[in-house]
Amino acid sequence: MASAEVLVSSGGAKFRQTVFDAVVFSYLAIFSVVAVVRPSEEQLLNLGENASLFGAFAVIGAILSVILQHKNIKTLGWMIYAPPHLKQRSQDELVAPMHKSLWGIQLILAVVVTTLVGFVMTKIDVLQLLEAERFWHAMRLFAELASPNLEILPKAVMKIIETIYIAFMATAIAVPVAFVLSFLMARNIMGNSRAGFGVYFALRTIFNVSRSIEPVLWAIIFSIWATFGPFAGMLALTVHSIASLAKQYSEYVESVEDGPIEGIESTGAGRLQTVWFAVVPQVVLPYISYTVYRWDTNVRMATILGFVGGGGIGTMLMEYQGQAKWPEVGCIILVIATVVWIMDTFSAHVRAAIK
Amino acid sequence: MSASAKDSQSRSAVSAGSHILQVRNLQKTYPNGTRALRGVSFDVKRGEFLVVIGLSGSGKSTMLRCLNRLHHPTGGEVLYTDRQGQQLDLAKCEGEQILEVRRRIGMIFQHFNLIPRHSVLENVLYGSLGRTSSLKSILGMYSAEDKAKAMNFLNLVGIGEKAHFRAAQLSGGQQQRVAIARALTQSPDILLADEPVASLDPATCHVVMDYLKRVNQELGLTIICNLHFLSLVRQYATRVIALKGGELVYEGSPADIDEAWFSRIYGEGAKEVHIN
Repeated sequence: MASAEVLVSSGGAKFRQTVFDAVVFSYLAIFSVVAVVRPSEEQLLNLGENASLFGAFAVIGAILSVILQHKNIKTLGWMIYAPPHLKQRSQDELVAPMHKSLWGIQLILAVVVTTLVGFVMTKIDVLQLLEAERFWHAMRLFAELASPNLEILPKAVMKIIETIYIAFMATAIAVPVAFVLSFLMARNIMGNSRAGFGVYFALRTIFNVSRSIEPVLWAIIFSIWATFGPFAGMLALTVHSIASLAKQYSEYVESVEDGPIEGIESTGAGRLQTVWFAVVPQVVLPYISYTVYRWDTNVRMATILGFVGGGGIGTMLMEYQGQAKWPEVGCIILVIATVVWIMDTFSAHVRAAIK
Repeated sequence: MSASAKDSQSRSAVSAGSHILQVRNLQKTYPNGTRALRGVSFDVKRGEFLVVIGLSGSGKSTMLRCLNRLHHPTGGEVLYTDRQGQQLDLAKCEGEQILEVRRRIGMIFQHFNLIPRHSVLENVLYGSLGRTSSLKSILGMYSAEDKAKAMNFLNLVGIGEKAHFRAAQLSGGQQQRVAIARALTQSPDILLADEPVASLDPATCHVVMDYLKRVNQELGLTIICNLHFLSLVRQYATRVIALKGGELVYEGSPADIDEAWFSRIYGEGAKEVHIN
């Protein structure tokens, strides 16, 4: 029944709200403890004990949250997760200042605490920047970078071409794979049967995990598996591109209009025909547009991957930077900047033309 | 059985006026608990132009989609009698059989549901997808017979000369005619029309309805059509059924819908709007 569904979803909202409040409470509590107790390095590294402490605070937070929910006091978790029909605020609440409500205080505390912790963690020390010796050292480096050694220009150009092709091959291999995957990862295509939903869910999970592994890490893995060089960089970019393209493509598939699908289905067309004739025409243009953008992104990523053994201009940059040859580094930066700018403009033009 | 005996039997089976559909206690409850159809029963005679009326949300669209299995009924029977006199319960079909049901029952929609970026002719050819293999259709290899058929039906609805336009370049009325041609290319036994003129302007409205009438009279195709405007109902329907809250509340001749019936179907205080 519809009413049962509302109950279930509001139950889910209550659960999320409680978890959120618990985590926020525990976060604030644990940093308060750190500020008061001033634990030693050794104590900070005791992960097991600290995690249990965090858990204990979270339990207290959860209990508090449940009590507050029963008293109808709006917590930050409620503000975020409560179903929209409950969020209708009265006139009084709309004009009430934020710091007079519990959720407002929670939010302000969380922001203030996070900013303070941030200052400590990043060891902010503006005075360092004002030391004369350090300042002039940096200025000399800038000066050397700004007078690029053009003798290595031919080699830099060859290497950036290598980088562009690393990016191109990674994109070209990833596109057909991602194309097929995108339909298997789209809920509106796969969600109709239990088996289909299983495939959808499994693929989503696998690719969410693989996408969260940065391409730099893939490059390290592949530079060991293959050898240092463009092939390793290309493989790393391919893996990352498949995950990223498949995710974006499948979102386009999920946003197609139902009308044409119904139209094709009504003729007695099979599953594959329906996807090909009703879904594909709707996603082709966004696919091309995103693919060009991906290639452009891949050129920039391939440069970074060169630092960890992925070949191309990145590797060359790393070598000269390691030897502190700043005029040479300046030349390479110039080449990279030019190509990135050209690729960026080119991909913007292509995408504008497709729209 | 001799050939002539078989012939005479099939002829007698398909004689006009015999039932093509017998819908019995048709029910549809959506997964979210909405009961769209609460046991609807009616008959459809071969060759008639049956119009279904009722308010939005009365279950008209759901009912049409349950007949050609775009939606799956949760109860009841849809007994279909084919041209040979064979009976089949469409509500019980599963898997590949569902596709076969859809092939036999063409459908047009309020929003035409064409592929806007593809050509008019391609859109009409999609009516033959059901009898073309996936590979052939994806490669665009339709049979010569299907191509001729598609072109023929495009001419029938009067837009043969626009065959190579993109569907999106056509006006609403023209798109709906393309949709009719697509449905005809299926060689269907029944044509369903779900609010075929609801998104068209009044003038175009009659053009499309007239084509449906022609298809009904010249090709002898049975039509089941959802409509909003009673003036159109009186003009085109040979018989009318009305749904309200998922139940059948009227069955009869369009001429017999008087004011009392009107307020029963559409609720007290509803006023009839005329479209000319």
